[in-house]
Amino acid sequence: MKSLLIKMNVNGVDREVLVDPDDRLLDVLRDELNLKSVKEGCGTGDCGICTVLMDGKPVLSCIIPAFQANNHKIVTLEGLNSDPTMQKIQQSFRKYQAAQCGFCTPAMEVVGWHLLNTEKKVDKNRIKEAISGVLCRCTGYYDIVDAVYEVAQQ
Amino acid sequence: MEQAVFNLSQIEVFQPASLKEALKILNDNRDAEIIANATDLWPRIMNGEVKPKKLVDISGLRSELSYVKREKGVIRIGALTTISELSEHQFVSEKRYRAFNDAIKLFGSPQIRNRATVGGNICAASSSEDLIPVFLAYDAKVKLASVDGERIVSLDKFVVGKRELSKRHNEMMTEVFFEEPDDGYSSVFYKIGRRNTLIINLVNLAVVGKVQDKRVVDIRIAANRVKGKIPERARKTEEFLKGRTLDEETIADAQRVFGEELSLSDDFRASAEYRKQVLKVLLKRGLNVLGV
Ligand code: FES
Ligand code: FES
Repeated sequence: MKSLLIKMNVNGVDREVLVDPDDRLLDVLRDELNLKSVKEGCGTGDCGICTVLMDGKPVLSCIIPAFQANNHKIVTLEGLNSDPTMQKIQQSFRKYQAAQCGFCTPAMEVVGWHLLNTEKKVDKNRIKEAISGVLCRCTGYYDIVDAVYEVAQQ
Repeated sequence: MEQAVFNLSQIEVFQPASLKEALKILNDNRDAEIIANATDLWPRIMNGEVKPKKLVDISGLRSELSYVKREKGVIRIGALTTISELSEHQFVSEKRYRAFNDAIKLFGSPQIRNRATVGGNICAASSSEDLIPVFLAYDAKVKLASVDGERIVSLDKFVVGKRELSKRHNEMMTEVFFEEPDDGYSSVFYKIGRRNTLIINLVNLAVVGKVQDKRVVDIRIAANRVKGKIPERARKTEEFLKGRTLDEETIADAQRVFGEELSLSDDFRASAEYRKQVLKVLLKRGLNVLGV
């Protein structure tokens, strides 16, 4: 029997979910709410693949106990798909072929979106810093930086 | 085998709504562990290194414990202040606080900085906690609260060993604070590791001091490894430097004293000899920063 009731707003919708003390926010998002853009890589806070926005800031859902999401606002890539900036970012990722396997792409797009939404002047170094917490084992990062940079200039 | 399987889902979780309530729960439950934003503790619970029976989740106490205050020559930082929040405060951009700025930039990753807290970093009490040497170099003290009231302990008496804090079971660290050095002070923090983000430090070094007309008026040096496996001050090197004229000869002598003061150990990440060499070079760089 799951023992803790948590309330959170996920992608704009209020949710109540029963969780175990050892459930991670990652598990709840993927398994209970079927938000599969959120991936598990390392599970220990090192790769950034599980990044979501919590109260508007990028955080790692694999090291957040689900009970700590109680009363917080969570946004995943699914919640941003119809946002105009996100759509530009996604087109730009396609243009620059900024993915091979695509496993890191949701996290890269979320941190890229967050950067473009919070800062006005964004240069390539800022983009590198912003994505520095997400590992990509395929692209060598340059295409990702270029893709985000193109949207930053628009 | 006493405890064949540890069932994580049996952990009892308390989510107090106020500091007062949290302290009462801590007082009533000897076996309870405090959990803040959990960036350090949660992975260790997940891999079985820490097996708590009860958790007091203080992440909901941000309105009481997340703040940076600058008043009457003292800087006070609430335990739940995140590293990102600390980085946004204007004091870290001043020359005398550059060590903070340096440490924050090299802290985890952006996502980690949005969650990890100042109090959590101190209470994690290990050699990978970069803020401890920085706070040590500012002679910081911590405030411990319990149902019995508050008391103040200096940071070097609080973090006493690897993963070891000198506090009573019913106490919670609520604040770290230090007196502001005057604006003639300079500071710097170095961290050496294998990459630029999510670095596990091989060594780190914080230097805070005041040099006037080439003379060392005051100096504090702290590193994550001096003698043991926790951050400490290099008091002998400090004593050696105080009052001396900061020229090439003094710096070379200080490096030698520092080298003798250090008793480092090998591990799979780096040898003691390598660490010693690097720390001596960093000391020289730090002294040069102070000297200009
Ligand atoms: S899966 Fe969360 S950081 Fe790797
Ligand atoms: S595209 Fe494969 S991990 Fe980034």
